[in-house]
Amino acid sequence: MSTVTWITARGLFGRARFLMLLPLPLVLIGLAVLCRSLGVDPGQWGPPVLVGLGLAVVLPVVALIVGTGVLGAEIDDGTVVHILTKPLPRWQIVLPKLAVAAGVSAVTVGVPLYVAGVLADSVRLGLALVAASAAGALAYSALFLALSLVTRRPVLLGLVYVLIWEGLLGRFVDGTKVLSIQQWVIALADRIAPTPLLGTTVSVPVAAVLTALVAVGFTLLAIDRLRSFSVAGETS
Amino acid sequence: MSEATGVIHDIGYQRYTGPRLARRQVFGALYGHGVRTVFGFGRSAKAKIFPWLVVAVVTVVAAGVTAVRSQIGEVVLTYAQFADAMSWLVIFFAAVAAPELVSRDLRSGVLPLYFSRPLPRGDYALAKLLALVTSLWLLLGGPQLVMFLGAAFTTDRGLRGVWDELLDLLPGLLYAGLWAVVFASIALLVASLTGKRAFAAGGIVAVFLMTTPVVGVLSILPSRTVNELAFLAAPSSLVSGVGTWALGDRLTQGQEGGIPIGDFGPVYAVVAVLLVAACVSLLLLRYRKVAAR
Repeated sequence: MSTVTWITARGLFGRARFLMLLPLPLVLIGLAVLCRSLGVDPGQWGPPVLVGLGLAVVLPVVALIVGTGVLGAEIDDGTVVHILTKPLPRWQIVLPKLAVAAGVSAVTVGVPLYVAGVLADSVRLGLALVAASAAGALAYSALFLALSLVTRRPVLLGLVYVLIWEGLLGRFVDGTKVLSIQQWVIALADRIAPTPLLGTTVSVPVAAVLTALVAVGFTLLAIDRLRSFSVAGETS
Repeated sequence: MSEATGVIHDIGYQRYTGPRLARRQVFGALYGHGVRTVFGFGRSAKAKIFPWLVVAVVTVVAAGVTAVRSQIGEVVLTYAQFADAMSWLVIFFAAVAAPELVSRDLRSGVLPLYFSRPLPRGDYALAKLLALVTSLWLLLGGPQLVMFLGAAFTTDRGLRGVWDELLDLLPGLLYAGLWAVVFASIALLVASLTGKRAFAAGGIVAVFLMTTPVVGVLSILPSRTVNELAFLAAPSSLVSGVGTWALGDRLTQGQEGGIPIGDFGPVYAVVAVLLVAACVSLLLLRYRKVAAR
């Protein structure tokens, strides 16, 4: 484990504000347990909990907070200079940070989704959701990590993508679903464990290719942007 | 001991004897500055991007709705439904504005400077809250005014039509005010907890988004009472519930709409008041003691 990984992990977990992330997965598990114990038909509570809460809210929001936090927090503090002045190739800075961000998001989201998936249908659905959300976490993390290098306001731009592109437009304009990580995750999970609970218009090969493309492309963009990075003060 | 030879010259330092502005002016200045901050006036172009992006989108939607109505004569969205339809943008706007108002002051550690003026602790929080409420209300009310003007100028029933339209507009503006108060108090409370704008924005969105699917789940549980009380769980549906109860038909103007809250309308109103009161008192409590840094 490289020092950068270690610093990043400590920067994430060493603060009390990491606890702010916990309510999201807990609500997801709580709702799944509540519905299961009251004997509601999984066909009814599955879509709102698994997709509406899990894949559409918890996954992007956790990935957004973590993904922009791993590098963005250091850029805000100005402490990123300490890493940048070390004789490290840029990819050795970006990749460990991306790994930590994707790993933390995948675990935070995967565990509750697994529980909810098992309660809703089967262990297979649970594992499918874990695998798909891990892929989604990687794609989201790469996107948000690159955003935190491209702009000074990565969280707000990320929110524009999550809220307006995936949330608002994805609901009204069907065509935008092709370019939505959320829909790719649903497509992948549905492919691994076909159930009537998950449904999307995006085809599986398209989803798989685009997920990989986003993950790799934005990682390369981040590495490239870090090559010529200028440290500036906080925006006014 | 030798005699003192130094001389103290009177170089004309004077005390300020003019009128001193009091608490009200401090409050007013803080409020005015707050509203300007939200919309990015007096700040760099970068600070204007996000607020004005949202303003542009809601205005375009309002203009589109007005155009459809004047051409086809079909009411796509009533004034109150407009606020409901824009809820995601309101959440985003609150996530942009609230951290700008309070988190920056926390981060740069200027609160001790503020509180060394004749400014009670509560006034700071209330001025910021009022600024955010005003901004959110303007965000929702402005497009409604656009819709009203469009409808008023294309009405074919003369002044009578304009008057009817005005009677429809006023409850809509009132309803927008309710949205503004509920959303502003929650958003500002969340933002006041952290000095990092990024985390504050994420937290606000998490609070609002996380609660919405809870409503969806509660409303399919096998109990009618729970179903009708389910909309209490999320701020946006809570506001819709109060609107359905208080404004009734005027909210939807005979169209399909409104949410099934049964006979629990007063409960929704009480919960909304309690929620706002709780958020404001927690906000005041949070500013009882501030760290210098």
